[in-house]
This record gives sequence, structure tokens and C-alpha cells, in this order.
Amino acid sequence: MELVTAALQSGLASLASYLAAHVLLCLVPAFFIAGALSALVPQQSIIHYLGPDAPKYISYPAAASAGSLLAVCSCTVQPLFAGIYSKGAGLGPAVAFLFFAPAANILALSYTGVALGAEFAIARIVLALCFGIGIGLLMALIFRRSEMVRTGANATNGVFAKGEGIPRQNLIFLGVLIALLIGGTLKLDWLITPLFSTTLHWDLATTVQAVLDRLVPVNEIRGAEGLSLQGLMLIAMLLLIGGVGFRGLGQVDNGFNRQTPVALALIAATLIFAALDIRAIDGGLVVTITGRSLAVLVLITAILPLARRFDLWDMQQWLWETWRFVRMIFPLLVVGVFLVGVIRIFIQPEWVQFIAGSNTVLANLAGVAFGVFMYFPTLVEVPIAKMFLSLGMHPGPLIAYLMADPELSLQSILITSAIIGKLKAWTYVGLVALFSTLAGLTYGAWVDGTSLWLLVMGVLGIVGLIVGSLHLIDRTRVA
Amino acid sequence: MLIKILGSGCAKCNRLEQLTREVVAELGVEATFEHVKEIDKIMAYPIMTTPALVVDEEVKVSGRIPGKDELRGWLS
Repeated sequence: MELVTAALQSGLASLASYLAAHVLLCLVPAFFIAGALSALVPQQSIIHYLGPDAPKYISYPAAASAGSLLAVCSCTVQPLFAGIYSKGAGLGPAVAFLFFAPAANILALSYTGVALGAEFAIARIVLALCFGIGIGLLMALIFRRSEMVRTGANATNGVFAKGEGIPRQNLIFLGVLIALLIGGTLKLDWLITPLFSTTLHWDLATTVQAVLDRLVPVNEIRGAEGLSLQGLMLIAMLLLIGGVGFRGLGQVDNGFNRQTPVALALIAATLIFAALDIRAIDGGLVVTITGRSLAVLVLITAILPLARRFDLWDMQQWLWETWRFVRMIFPLLVVGVFLVGVIRIFIQPEWVQFIAGSNTVLANLAGVAFGVFMYFPTLVEVPIAKMFLSLGMHPGPLIAYLMADPELSLQSILITSAIIGKLKAWTYVGLVALFSTLAGLTYGAWVDGTSLWLLVMGVLGIVGLIVGSLHLIDRTRVA
Repeated sequence: MLIKILGSGCAKCNRLEQLTREVVAELGVEATFEHVKEIDKIMAYPIMTTPALVVDEEVKVSGRIPGKDELRGWLS
């Protein structure tokens, strides 16, 4: 019985810290950015760099940026991958795109940054970019014979035509949303400094907080943040948004209805409220306004006049896409986060530390293997990584896991092999496993204090060795 | 006329089909609908992104959902 209570409490604690102010300030803008990328960025603006005649130094970076800008939704990944492979720049860029997409979309990055720390988010994007392009180049090299045989039988007329660029007002709009995300999450000095503080008189403040503390205990060793009064309010506001959003945002593509402004106002209020700092003291609540609160307030106010300059249809699409992402990802994430908290009780830190407590090849391989054989819905890999981190996993194997998990699920392997064939797909899987291990080792070594230059040289050396030996094998086979 | 919706069955693709059907009903034109889900059949058209709308074998739009006014222009 005690174990059940402990497990439930751990699940609740995990949910509470997930719904805490700093996570909301990151995820809510991230959902709106994802919606805007999907609705307001003309896909042609990037696709025309991916034609069959594009030089390598353009097609590979373009494929990677298509991965992070266009592929927020899995339904664009498959046709875009097939398209780049069969009509456009070929196998290499297609693979780079496939690798980069899940690691570098705005939702995954911002959530990683807030839950695990900015250095993990940066490591994730830099390593994914380097190794994604590396794997793409390798695949193109390994299969270059069959690639040359493959003829462009598919219709390409006009696909890579230079379409309209991204309009300037769309870029400004995206910029403000991204500023909101950054302003709400970064821990810069001028954002945290208190500007103004006031005490609201409320006798019951400490009593209520004590009840909350008993329900969801704070445990700093485990990273459980407990549930504050502010957190409780935020959860209530989120539930309200959920209620209004179904009609207000979910059906906005039929035109703005009466609940749309209500939902939007509620979301704005929630964000501003989350940016305040509220603490319970004896006999009242201390409300502190920080630089962050002001920044969030100003940016949200700036969105309204900017949004008015768009076509009504564009705005409807934006809100509809945003709500679609929320509905697709949020429920799974909430359940996932709760379950992660429950499971955590049953995992002994000694096990994790024994397998992956230090940055060894074996530990990194274990991280990759766990990522390959476990399938988690989008973003749930992040709370799982956070759990492992708090249980004592070394950051190196953790990055190896974070790289391998979204890249290699059974589903993605099946889709890939249907498009490019079994041999190529399994080669890809092998390379991803290899490079994820390498990525983990590299990051782990960096955390342990190895100098950056040494690491860059090491990685370049290994990649050079692989490319060189492939080249040699190829030549002996011909001779 | 023959209207094809190209898409892997994602939410956007279904939404496009629904919108197109609504416009067809409004205009009262004769049309047969086909929802193409096989990736190799989709790739036979000159598009890179779904959903796409094909009217009488001519690609009208791909990668986004058009507004109803745009749809009316193509279908009447």
C-alpha cells in the first residue's frame, strides 16, 4: 500500500513539475511557433534548394533546415523524404533530412532546453547537424553505384521551381514568437532580477501551501519541485483553456467564433501569470514582477497588431495548426510524464549508475540500445531522459540515448525501408547506432573536461577513417 | 470532373478533402473523389509535400490547405 502511494505521489510530482511555470513558458510558445511554421512558411521557399542539380554544400544544409522548419509534423516527413530521394537531391540529403528532423524541431529543442538544461539542447542540435550530414554523405558514398543506375523516372517538372520566398511580415511574426519563447525561458540576469514586489494579504496562504506540500512533496535530490499555489492556479487555467480551446481553436478554420478570443485571452493571461513569481509567506502571498514578466507582457501585446496585418485565412490556419499539435502531443505527453514519475520509484539509482554511470563505450551502447528498443511518443523521451539524469546517468550516454530514440523506432525503420529498400534502410540504422554512440562519447568526454579541439580532431579522424576505408574497399572491388 | 486528394491520411489531408467536398456541394458540380494514399502513386505527381489537390490530373495546390475562395476558382 505504501508503495502504491509513493508511486502515485511520484507520478503527481512529475506532472506538477511538468506543468510548472517555466515549462509552460517554453511549451506554449513552442506550440504556437510549430503552428506558425506549419501554416505560414511556404514550403517551396526551402524545397527549391533541394533539386537534383543543387550542389552538395547547398543541398545538405537545405535538407537539414527543411528538417527543422517544415517537418514539425510527421505527415510531412514521409512525402518530403520520398520526394528528396526520388526526384531531388538524392539519397544523401534525404537521409540528412530524416536524421535531423526529429532531433531539431522547435518543440523537441525547447523542451529539452528547459527540462534538461540549455547545454543539452545545444549539444542535441549541433551533434545532430554534424552527424546527420555525416551519415547522409556516407550513405551517398556507400550506395553511389546503385544511385547512378537509378533513373529519374518521376515527374519533376516545376517541383523545384523558385517559389515565393517567406514574406517579411511572416518572418517578423515568427521572430516575435521566438523572442517570447526565449524571453520566457532563458535564465539571464536581467530577466530574473526582481523589479517590483508586493504582498497580498491572505491568512490561509501557508496552510494551503502546507496541504499541497503534503500531497506532492518537494524532493530536491530527486528533482521533484513540488506544487506551488501558482502551479495549482496554472493547472486550473490550463484546464479552462482546454475546455474553451476545443471550439475556440479547434474549429477556427470555419471562421472565428465567440470562444476564439476567450481562448486566446486565457492563453495570454496564463503566460503572463506564469511569468510572475509568487511565493506563500506567513499571512499572505508575495508577488514579484521580474524582467521576465515585463518581457512576456510586451511581446504578447506586440503579437496582436502583427497578427492583424495577416489575411484572416492565414491566422485561422495558424491557430488551427497550433491546436492540432496541442491535441496530438499534449495528452500523450501528460500521460507519459505521469507514468515516468510512477516508474521512477521502482528503478534503483544503483542499476542506472552501474550500467551508464560513466562515459564508456559500453555505457553509450546501452543508451543507444535502450533508445532503439523503446518507443515513446514525441517529446516523452525528454522526461525519460530527465529521470535517468536524476538517477545518476552520465550526460554522455544520455545524449546517445536522446539521439537514438527519436531516430530509430520500428515505425520509422519500416517507412524508410519501404521508400529506399531494405539494404539501405538497415545500413542507415547501423550508421545511426554507430554515430549516436560516437555522439554520446564525444559529449560525455566534453562534460568530463576534454578540450574541444581534441574532440573535433578525434571525430574528424574517425569519420575520415571510415570514409577512407570505404573508398579503399570500393577500389579493390573494382580492380 | 475527377478530383484527387493526395496524402498519407493525415489530419491536414482529411481537412482538405472535407473542404473540397463542401465547395463541390456548394457549386453543385459533378465530381468523383479519390483519396490517394500510396506514396509511390503520390510521388508520380510533381509534388514534394502533402496534402495536394489534383483536379483532372492537374496539380492545383500542394503542401497547404487553400481557402474556400481559391477552391471555388479551381472547381467552377
